[in-house]
Amino acid sequence: MFHVTKAYPGDPPVLVDINLDVQKGEFVFLTGPSGAGKSTLLKLMFVAERPTRGQVLISGRNVARLRESGIPYLRRNIGVVFQDFKLLPTRTVAENVGFTLDVLGTPRELVRAKSLKALKSVGLEHKADVLPPKLSGGEQQRVVIARALVNDPAILLADEPTGNLDPRLTVEIMDLLCDVNARGTTVVVATHDASLIERYQKRTLRLERGTLVAEALGHKAAALMA
Amino acid sequence: MSVTASLSYFSRTALNGIVRSPFVHVIAVASLAIALVGFGLARMASAQLDRLMLALAGEVEMTVYLEPGTTPDKMAELQQALSQRTGGQTRVVSPAEALGRLSKELGDPGHALTSLEENPLPWSVEVTLPPLAREPEALKALADRVRTLPFVTQVDYGQEALERLTAIARALKLGSLIAFVLVFLTAIVVVSATLQLAIYSRREDIEIQKLVGATDRFVRAPFLIEGLLQGAVAATLACGALWAFAFFVGPKLAALFSFLDVGGPRPGIDPRLVLELFGIGAAMGLLGSVVAVRRFLRV
Repeated sequence: MFHVTKAYPGDPPVLVDINLDVQKGEFVFLTGPSGAGKSTLLKLMFVAERPTRGQVLISGRNVARLRESGIPYLRRNIGVVFQDFKLLPTRTVAENVGFTLDVLGTPRELVRAKSLKALKSVGLEHKADVLPPKLSGGEQQRVVIARALVNDPAILLADEPTGNLDPRLTVEIMDLLCDVNARGTTVVVATHDASLIERYQKRTLRLERGTLVAEALGHKAAALMA
Repeated sequence: MSVTASLSYFSRTALNGIVRSPFVHVIAVASLAIALVGFGLARMASAQLDRLMLALAGEVEMTVYLEPGTTPDKMAELQQALSQRTGGQTRVVSPAEALGRLSKELGDPGHALTSLEENPLPWSVEVTLPPLAREPEALKALADRVRTLPFVTQVDYGQEALERLTAIARALKLGSLIAFVLVFLTAIVVVSATLQLAIYSRREDIEIQKLVGATDRFVRAPFLIEGLLQGAVAATLACGALWAFAFFVGPKLAALFSFLDVGGPRPGIDPRLVLELFGIGAAMGLLGSVVAVRRFLRV
């Protein structure tokens, strides 16, 4: 990202002159208080928002100038774990996970098999045919992660992926994200959980009022948040 | 994805959509069907008016009155000229025959005519016109040409009555066209609003599909299939309703307007009307879907 600013008409800018470089295969924490602009920064990465000024390059492509018709193809390489889940309440867990594959045109039988495999990786294989409202918050969170990972994306963006989980599940999910990262996927996690940052010792970027104020590793970053 | 796999996926999604919100689809189909019935009725009324006009014009004969003292030779010549110019059949009517007819038409008072010393009526030629010459404009032009022929004193073809009838028929046709356009526009608004309701209930699906990388075409396809299906179902219903109308109400209407009975088969549902109903139904369903889905694609 080069000199990226995002502002909505009539409001103060959400992001101001952000310069950021995430390498391929890297694991990065994005932290900061609520309203600092973490979610907006992630949205710029999967083109749910366009920057007011500046450039956003993903795999060498300037997505700030990407045509509408090019957006779907970019998104197919990016898995997103949404803070508000975005699960369809009238479709089963497996169908929700398979949604990503349907869009890619994967044959029906393969959709089911791959969805089950992804659900297994988050420990929810047995809930494949349950409707999301019947699941706990933590389980729904894991379904969202399975959906984001089901087509092996090159980039995984996660907005507070452990926000609704108890400490044991938090560790499980974070380990899962680390595994994904170890297999070569670039992972960006937005979180305000200092314990995670301390525990996982990854590069951490801190946002405050729309500005990137600090960049540190693990302990230091956690200390900065204190 | 192969074409068959895509079609199967899109059809499945479309059917799921219908199953999940049946009420909204019923309303969309009903409003489409009402518009199509309106169209069908307008077409049937227009066909009936056409037949009425043709039948009435068919009764109009052109009478060409001749100068007194026209010789039989000249009459034969004129008769031939009239046949050639009008393309119709001609018949010479003598003053005696004309007087006899008049007296018959007048009834009792007509007897007085038989006591006339001299027959005041002229020789005349009656022309039965072919269908092509029955339009008021064409008839007028023909009459003007016939007037210039030698020995012709006057040409009569019930000009005023025919022109008035044509004007009435045109006004009725225009009225039915305006009514149809109004119904059609209302239906499009209702259909697109109803479809928007149907799509609104699936906005989450659309949003998530877009967020995981679906193209607009992929999102739109099931809705277009739904629109097509709705159009087809509405057209089937409209055909049924129009058939029922022609079968049950048609004869009663014909009895009511028996003085206008023109004979022959009454207009019903012909294959062309069925095709038109399906074509318009599908087009309206598709158009309604395209318009309705547009605003939900911006994610």
